[in-house]
Formats: sequence, structure tokens, C-alpha cells
Amino acid sequence: MIGFLHPWVLAGLPLAAVPLILHLLQRREPPTIEFPAVRYLVQVTEQFQRRLRLQHWLLLLIRTLLVLALVVAAAGPSVPLRASSAHAPSALVLVLDNSPSSGVVVSGTPILTDLRAAARRILQQASSSDALWLLESDGIARRGGPAELESAVDSTAPSFRRLDLGEALGIAQGVLATDRRPGAIAVLTDLQASALSPAPTKVPVTVIRPDGPAPENVGIVRLDPGPQPWTPEGGSVTVGLAGDSAAPVPVSVSLGDGPGRQALVSVGGAAAFALNGASIGWWTVQAAKTADELRADDHMESLVRVAPVAKASWDTTNRYLNVAAQVLLQSRRLERGTDLSLGSLGSGASVVMPPADAADLGALNRALARRGAGWSYGALSTVPVLSDSGALFGRISILKRYALVPGRVSAETGVVATAGGQPWIVRSGNVVLLASRLDPTWTALPLSAGFMPFVDALVNRLARGQLALLAGAPGDAILIPDLTTEVVHGDHRWRVEGGAAFRPPTTGVYFLVSGRDTLGGISVNLDPRETDLRRASDRAVGELWPTARVVSLGEAADAAFAGARRASLQGALLWLALLLGLVEVGLASGLPRLP
Amino acid sequence: MPPAAAPPRVRFDLLDPSEASRLAGLELLTEGVVEGFLSGLHRSPRRGFSVEFAEHRMYQPGDELRYVDWKLLGRKDRLYVKQFEEETNLRAMLVVDSSRSMAWSGEPGRVLTKLEYAKRLAASLALLLLRQRDAIGLIAFDDRVRRVVPARARMAHWHQLLAVLGDLAAGRGTAAEPALRRVVDLLRRRGLVVFVSDLLLDRELTLRALKFLRHRGHQVLVIHVMDPSEYELSGPAEARFEDPETGLGVTLRPKDWAAAYRATVAGVVSAWHRACRSSGMQYHQVTTDTPFGLALRRIVSRPSGLA
Repeated sequence: MIGFLHPWVLAGLPLAAVPLILHLLQRREPPTIEFPAVRYLVQVTEQFQRRLRLQHWLLLLIRTLLVLALVVAAAGPSVPLRASSAHAPSALVLVLDNSPSSGVVVSGTPILTDLRAAARRILQQASSSDALWLLESDGIARRGGPAELESAVDSTAPSFRRLDLGEALGIAQGVLATDRRPGAIAVLTDLQASALSPAPTKVPVTVIRPDGPAPENVGIVRLDPGPQPWTPEGGSVTVGLAGDSAAPVPVSVSLGDGPGRQALVSVGGAAAFALNGASIGWWTVQAAKTADELRADDHMESLVRVAPVAKASWDTTNRYLNVAAQVLLQSRRLERGTDLSLGSLGSGASVVMPPADAADLGALNRALARRGAGWSYGALSTVPVLSDSGALFGRISILKRYALVPGRVSAETGVVATAGGQPWIVRSGNVVLLASRLDPTWTALPLSAGFMPFVDALVNRLARGQLALLAGAPGDAILIPDLTTEVVHGDHRWRVEGGAAFRPPTTGVYFLVSGRDTLGGISVNLDPRETDLRRASDRAVGELWPTARVVSLGEAADAAFAGARRASLQGALLWLALLLGLVEVGLASGLPRLP
Repeated sequence: MPPAAAPPRVRFDLLDPSEASRLAGLELLTEGVVEGFLSGLHRSPRRGFSVEFAEHRMYQPGDELRYVDWKLLGRKDRLYVKQFEEETNLRAMLVVDSSRSMAWSGEPGRVLTKLEYAKRLAASLALLLLRQRDAIGLIAFDDRVRRVVPARARMAHWHQLLAVLGDLAAGRGTAAEPALRRVVDLLRRRGLVVFVSDLLLDRELTLRALKFLRHRGHQVLVIHVMDPSEYELSGPAEARFEDPETGLGVTLRPKDWAAAYRATVAGVVSAWHRACRSSGMQYHQVTTDTPFGLALRRIVSRPSGLA
């Protein structure tokens, strides 16, 4: 297949029609001249007319070919050259898949070692006239010479970041678009099926993957410490496994440095581990299983916040709220005290409901303003709506609600839940505002099964300051909460701006800090899709990437530049154009000497 | 006898034919041409000075003094020479082509048409012959014989010839053979046939007729009249060239064919020349921009009944 260095020049191909158009224009309606000696002309033309007509058509053909040759030569054509190891100057992006799954050990060697060796062989075929980039799972295409990239390949280790191969191809094609040389992409990967995504490939793509099936693997894909915070009495952790084994796998879970709890967990299922309490503070909870071929997914970490139960007073006139508080009291999720005012605005932390009598609303708004709350109550709406989010209490029906109006300072931050697209629960400092009263005439929530966990969350989490317990994978963009000023991971500290995205570079737990307070944390673990090592079929690759060719690692060196191993036709075409020009000049100047 | 006319001051014989035609009518021009032509010769015509007196004419430098009429000099105080009647020994017939192709000029207004040039050249030849006391007749033809004037030797016959030539208009096609056969009827004795044409006709038939005349003992003089533009092919980048007689046309690029055409015309002229010479005929090719005097000089410089 012919490739072009400057394909846009081919837009000039219609110029080849210029000689024909000029020829046709000149042929239109020649003038008639009276000339008695026509018999002499006839005598001459009878002898030479056929030859002259042939010469004219030949001239037309030569001129058309001349224009075509010049235009195509200007476009920089090249053709595949399979017989030779040499290749025309080309641009190659080497995608080295060093995602966590590349660390799987097969026959005593990590797959990444084989991928690196294949990458080196490809780079050894490159020359200084090639443009080369190395793209790894961090998504950054680094340009360099063959030796430089070879050194980079040698130092490549399995990353904690997942590599989406479709996205990588998009990045690689974007890079190639900046270079005029014929482009190609070589993807060195374990070809994990979950890493494939569609990509509209336009350049030759060579997918280089190991032969044989992927090894079996089991990994921890879920570590859920449940509702936070825990009380000093402890809590429970849910661990989930995924993988290829049919037999249960022993898993141990521990809180901090405390003794671990062990249990057999079936693959594809989950198990809950009850852990004893710990002192008040932030703790790391870890889950681990026996090692297998892929070590990266054999353990997982998460964060647990241990805090004392809330000491609250509540509005006993509200039947449903009172019952819920009593139940929490009995289950030691709540104590009587004055730290929290539940149902009305108190001097400390408060969960505020709108008053039963609308006449009291003005006074409440003024009190909120005095407290510096960023929100106030607005107009009453009796249009029934459903809550928008099921995170706290499921989707429930809301019959009446007040509009929650943001102040100038709050700028609509602190929205906890919405209904009908409007704020329904908001938090400003240690004040939580509910848009509806917790009464069945206002909302169906008090009658729902989620009411008790909702009140528990209100008193132990929302009103005492939201615990931001976030989760993600390395490299993911994680939106950190407002007020966060620093992210801390071991000895590393990153100064951040609340509301912005943070990309954790590696696995582990990260604390979100505001001044001297810890606002929450991020549990960063491997993307669970890395556990599934099953490889994509060659056919699936072809369906997702139209220009791709799949080869084994042994063919890497020959295949990578196969698309770019091309011979330039520019010189030959220019010589042809010169030859055509000479023939044209000879033929054109020879015409008057016809006889 | 007093002289008929004063010698012309303008040498019509040396002027550009088109310019000369603008300055004078057919008669005056012809006389001017002939007078100029004769005066250009370094001796007076040898014929016309016979034993029987015919008329006087003005003395011209170069005339022999022995023919000066001294008596007339005494009476008129002017020099006249005596001319003597000579017995007519030649009967000539002008055969003039008046076909459509003859009425063409490559540069109308600047160059005479071939027919106009032929008429003036024929008239000049007629006058020249009449002055030699030869009998001269005329046949004009196109696709058929148009006008026939039998040969006479009187000078008054000259005006009749001029009238016929003056009225001669271009016809349609060209068929020389009937006209040439008609000559056979008109010239019983051996004589001179002057064939004036652009020779755009059936070459074989015409040559056969001319050879027949030659076979009958006549001197044959072929005057091939051509327009200068018929020598060199020119025109726009591409044009359709059309024969006004036959309507035959050909579309071509003059630039491509100019050289081939030039060679072909040269070949045609050469072929006529060879054919005429091989049959004992004289062939003269003149272009319509050649001064009449030069054309006449070229024609009479060869042995024929004209000089």
C-alpha cells in the first residue's frame, strides 16, 4: 500500500486535467478561413494527419503524466519494502504495557521482562532518522533516540497504573500526527482483555503479545470497611475475591498492627470480617491472601476512622426522630449529651429541620445567618419529587420541601443530597439543613428501611463533619473535598487545593488534611480489572482496531517496522517527470518539422 | 502622324502592382507598364521597324538616329522616330483563368487578387504583342468558356480586349481543358498560347490539353499566378481552411503544418516547371506582389514569340 509523507498535496491531483482542459478549450469552434490552395493542405495532411494526431494525443498523455508525477512526487510517496531490513525514515510510537498485570510471573519470569526484551529488539532496528516515542502506562509519550529509549525500557518496572490500550492508541496517533514521516505504532502488551477498548486507528498498528494462555490468578478486588466512623468497639470489613480458582482462598484481615482475622473466601464472592475496636483515630485496614503469579493484587488496604459515638439532644416531639434516637441509644450508636442538637438549631453541631409552623421560618433563617451558615430556607414546594441519590437513604418520595437557598459565600458548596435537581440536604460547617421535616407528611423516608442508617449517618457522620473516605486506583483523577490543603502519603506531602483532582501515583492510603485536622482519606488500590488476566483474541483486536496486526514476541523486531519499512518513490517519480519533460520538449519541438 | 500620347512619367512597370492599380485605370496602367517596360530595354524593339512606314512615335533615348524623322523635327521642333509596318507573323491567344479561386487575395486591399493581377498582366502582354503587329486574341474561362475574342492585329483591337478584360468577373469552378481546346479552333496556324492561371485545377487534364497545343506546333507559355499568402501558411492557432470553389475544408494548426505546406507548394511549382519544360513549354511563376515590369521582363527574357 502506498503511503504519503504529505498526503494533503494530493489535493493537487486535479491539476492533471489542465492539459486536457486546455486541449479541449483550444479545440472549440476554430475560425474558418477561405483559402484556395486547400488542395495542397489536403495533400500534405493526408500524408501526416494520422501521425500528427498520434503525436498530439501522445503529447497530451505525456503532459498529464508529467503533472501527475510531479504532484505525487511532492506528496512524498513510499511503498512497503518487505524484502529488505532497511526502512524509510518513519515515526514509531512504542507502547510498552507495564500495567500491574505485566508483573505476572510466567515460567519464572515476569511478562514485562519479555516485553522489554522485544522492545529493545525493535529499538535496535531503528535509526537516527526515525522519530521514536515510548509510551507507558503513565500515558506520557516520551521522545528519544534509539539508545535513549532502550535505556528507558531497561529501567521500566511494573506500574501500579492500569493502561487502557484504546486510550494509548489515541495518544500515540495524536503524537504521530505531529510528525510528517510515515507513522506506525507497536504495542507490546500482555493483551489483557479488560485493557482493550475501541480506537479508530488510522496508522499501521502492530500488537506484540506473548504466546500461550495467561496464567490463572486470584486477587482481592474489594475491601470495604463499612459505614464510618467505627466506634471504639470495632466494626466489620467486607473482602471480595475475583479470579480463576474454584476453591476458596485463605484471606487475612487486620486493623493497624493488631492481630489479623483469617477466613476462607470463595473466589467471586465476598466475606465479612468482624474486627475488634481500636483507640480513637485513623487506622489502616489490610487484607492479604496467599501469593500467586500476580503479586500486585494479593493485598489491599483501606482506611478506618474510629470515633466516639455522638452525644446528642433531640426533639422528642417528633415521633419518628425520637424513636430512631432511642434505637441508636440502645444500640450504643448515640449517647445523650449536648454536643449535637438533632432536629433544631442548637449552639453546637446541629441537624436542622424546617419548623412545623411556617411563621417560625423567618426567625430560623435569621438564627442561621447569625451562626454564619451559608444556607437558608426559601419558598415551600408541595410538588412531589423523588430524591436523586440513593447513597444515604435510597430513592424515596418527597412530598413537601423548602427550597434551600445558598448564601453569597457558600456558592452552593456543601450539598449532601438533592431532590428534583435541587439541594435537599446541605451542610455548612457543623450545621446540617434538611429541606423537609422527618415526617411522613413531608417525606416517605421515616417509613423506609433506610431511616435508621440515615439518622445514624446524620448524627455520627454528617453533623460531626463529613468523613471523606474516597477510593481509587493509581493514576485516577480523584476529586478531593473542599477545605483540603494537603494530601499525605507516608513521608510524601502534596499541597493541594480543595475541589481539585488529585492523581495518586501508587497504591496505599492517603490522608486528606486541612491544617491540623484530618478530613478523610483515599484508599488507593489496584484497579480490580487487573486481576482478570484473560487475554483478548486476535480477532477481537482486529474488530476493535481496524489497522492492527497481532504477532508474537518473537516476531517483534521484524513486524514493528513492517508498516514503516518503505522505499521512497519520490526520486523515481522526479526522474520520471524529468524524462517525460524531455520527451515532451522533443515531441513538441519536433512537430513543426513534421515532413 | 502626331504621337498618340505623351510617355508616362510614372514607371508603372516598376511600382507595386496594387499601388500602380490605384494610380491608373486598366488602359492607362497597361500602357504605362508597356511603355516603361520598353523604355527599360536598352534598345528599341527590333520588330516594328520594317520597310513600310506605319506611324510616328516620340523619340526615346536609345533609339537609332537613322529612324529620326528630320523633316518632322523641322516642322514640330520635336524628335520623332518613324515606325514601319511589319508583316504580321504571329497569332497569339491569351487564355485567362477567371475562376473563383483567382478572385482571392491573402491581404485584400494591399495585394491585388490573382484575377486582377492576371487581367493587367494579360492586357500588358496584349499591348506588347499588338505593338509588334502581332495578332492577339483572348479566351476567358472558369468552369466553362466565358468570353472569346478572336485574334486581331489592329491597335483598335486593343480597346476591345481591354473592355472584355475589364468586364471579366470571377466565375465558379475551374475547367481549363475546354478553353484550351477552343484555342485549336481559333489558331489555325502555328501561334502563341499564353495560359494565365493559378493552376488550381485538374493538373493532368490541363497538361494534356497544353501538350496537345504544343503538339499542334503552338508556342505555349504558362504563367502561374500565385498570391504570396499561398506560399506561406499562416493564421490563428487552429483554423478550418476552406476552398472557395469546392467547399473542401481541412482543420489544422498552421504552425504545425507550415513547413510541410511550404515544401508541398515548392514541389507543385517544381512539378509544373518540369512538366512544361519536358514538353517544350515555357513556365513562369509570378506572385501578385511582383511589379508588372519585372514579371514581363521575366516572361519575355526567354525565347518565345514575345520578344
